Amino acid sequence: MPTETRFQEIKRYVRLDERDGELMRAFGDLARPELPRIAREFYDRIREHEDAHAVFTGEEQIQRLQRSLVVWMTRICSGTYDEAYHEQTSVIGRVHVRIGLPQRYMLTAMALIRIALLRIADQALAADAGPTREALVRILDIELAVMLEAYQDSYVERIEQAAKQERRDLGEALAQAEHRYVSAVELAGVIIIGLDREGKIQLFNREAERVTGFARDEVWAKPFAEVLALDDGSGSLPEQLASLLAAGTQTRELEACVRTRAGKLRDVTWSMSCAQEKAEGVVLLATGRDVTDEKAKEERSRQNERLAAIGTLAAGLAHEIRNPLNGAQLHVSFLRRAIQRQSDPQEMLEATNVVGDEITRLANLVTEFLDFARPRPPDFKPTSLTKSMEHACGLVEASAKTAGIELTCDVPSSDVDFPADSAKLTQVLLNLLNNAIEAGGKVVCIRGRRGPRQVFIDVEDDGPGLPGVDAPIFDAFYSTKEGGTGLGLAISHRIITDHRGTIDVSSRPGRTSFHIALPLEQNGGA
Amino acid sequence: MSGTPPVRSRNLLLLDGDLRSTNGLARLLREDGFSVEVLCDGASAISRLSREPLPDTLVTEIIVPITDGVAVARFATEKRPDMRVIVVTRYPNLLGASSFGDACPAVLSKPLDYAQLLELLEGTLAPAIARPGALLPGAGEC
Repeated sequence: MPTETRFQEIKRYVRLDERDGELMRAFGDLARPELPRIAREFYDRIREHEDAHAVFTGEEQIQRLQRSLVVWMTRICSGTYDEAYHEQTSVIGRVHVRIGLPQRYMLTAMALIRIALLRIADQALAADAGPTREALVRILDIELAVMLEAYQDSYVERIEQAAKQERRDLGEALAQAEHRYVSAVELAGVIIIGLDREGKIQLFNREAERVTGFARDEVWAKPFAEVLALDDGSGSLPEQLASLLAAGTQTRELEACVRTRAGKLRDVTWSMSCAQEKAEGVVLLATGRDVTDEKAKEERSRQNERLAAIGTLAAGLAHEIRNPLNGAQLHVSFLRRAIQRQSDPQEMLEATNVVGDEITRLANLVTEFLDFARPRPPDFKPTSLTKSMEHACGLVEASAKTAGIELTCDVPSSDVDFPADSAKLTQVLLNLLNNAIEAGGKVVCIRGRRGPRQVFIDVEDDGPGLPGVDAPIFDAFYSTKEGGTGLGLAISHRIITDHRGTIDVSSRPGRTSFHIALPLEQNGGA
Repeated sequence: MSGTPPVRSRNLLLLDGDLRSTNGLARLLREDGFSVEVLCDGASAISRLSREPLPDTLVTEIIVPITDGVAVARFATEKRPDMRVIVVTRYPNLLGASSFGDACPAVLSKPLDYAQLLELLEGTLAPAIARPGALLPGAGEC
């Protein structure tokens, strides 16, 4: 059986047969004089509609189309419905599509034609119109069906084109996005190194090349920690990296220096972030900032500050040593005179004692000066607050008793350990307690308490108070005490600051209180 | 001693926070015939200078506990314009002579050369050194 064409299939569906052809031919003879009128009325109707009218370019075209419509209607009534007929209908359908005639107008226009032709049949054939009406309906619906096919073909084509365009746009967008990201990674002023599951280098940006001196092909697929000799001083970096790679979701900040191609060490602050997706096999991105120069600058400025402080101190020392020198000198003058006169040996002995004492003062000054100028970093160990306080109190107990001072040690209800250099802390507490005992009051109290993040130690006395609110008591060589070096509080201040703590004072006649706050945790050590 | 040098100062007030040195100095001066009072802070000095009899010479440090030697020297010369002021200090470069107002002191630095102080007190010091403020920067100002 020969394959049925689409046209044949439609004809079979609506049962359009030879008899219909004959009926249509006969109808054609009846209708022919009426066709120009139908065409005119049809286009008049179209003119009433904005959207439908918009597809026409002018009156001339409409005249031509009216003639075409007459030809088309004549063709419908020809009674011959073969493949050539089908092809012509298809062409007309494609023209409708091409000029952009909306489908709804094609359908409703067909209704107008249909009504007009049916009326002609009804008027001419009256009661015998039935078979002709059927033939008309069949052939007109076939026309509609074929023309609709043209629309459908057009849609398919347009959808395909749109899809093609979309793919093209997407490709461009992808390329653009890729370009953007590549530029971002390459031009970023930070080191970006991508690692795969084994911790091997898969991505090595320009800044990474600049800082390390390695070209990317030299480090490609090599173990990150090894090739850059990554070292954070803990020795556990490889394990840390491995656990980070295994965990796959964390972000970690760490400081680790790298060894450059030339063998130099650079300090880098790293941020390790695990990538969720396995793009290019990169599961961990290490972003780093070269902080070597910053650190050197900081260190220099710290050094400068220290030198300046030592300079100020040295100048102070140059003045302060003049007092004991003066004392010694005057007593030597007295001794010389006494020896010439062969005076009382007891007097001379006393004078030599004074000279000896002055020399001791000089030695103390120099020792304390060195303590201040060249401090050792605190040696942090867990230190008991209660024990530190009791120890310091024990050391001053005797002198307090001699001075007739009532000494109270008010320890916290439950002891607390905090990181401190206990020898240095004792030095501070002793200094404060001795000052308090010598302040000229009757009662001295040391009180320890724990805060949420700090421990507090207060040392109070009921002496006459500081000379003024602005007295520079923490400055080196400031002293209100006979024989004081003026370095005690300066050194205490320095020690507490080295512990990342604070020390301040409040004073009024009858109550002077030194207030120390020390952190419960020392992050990052000294 | 030969002849009779013009003795200008006999009653001295010594002011210095470094009491031990000052006591040593006072002892030498007393042996040499001076009448000496010793004080170790500025407040006591001002209180002493508020009552008669006033000393004829003030020997003071610049930095002393409670106020300072400059304030005491100014107060002293207000009370007695012919009061002689001698500064004995561990800070010889701290202040210009004009800081002392009318006092215009002679300045000696520590450690003190006792013989020099004595010459100054007895008026036998060579004029160049004895000129008030000679040892201070900006000496010509007074």
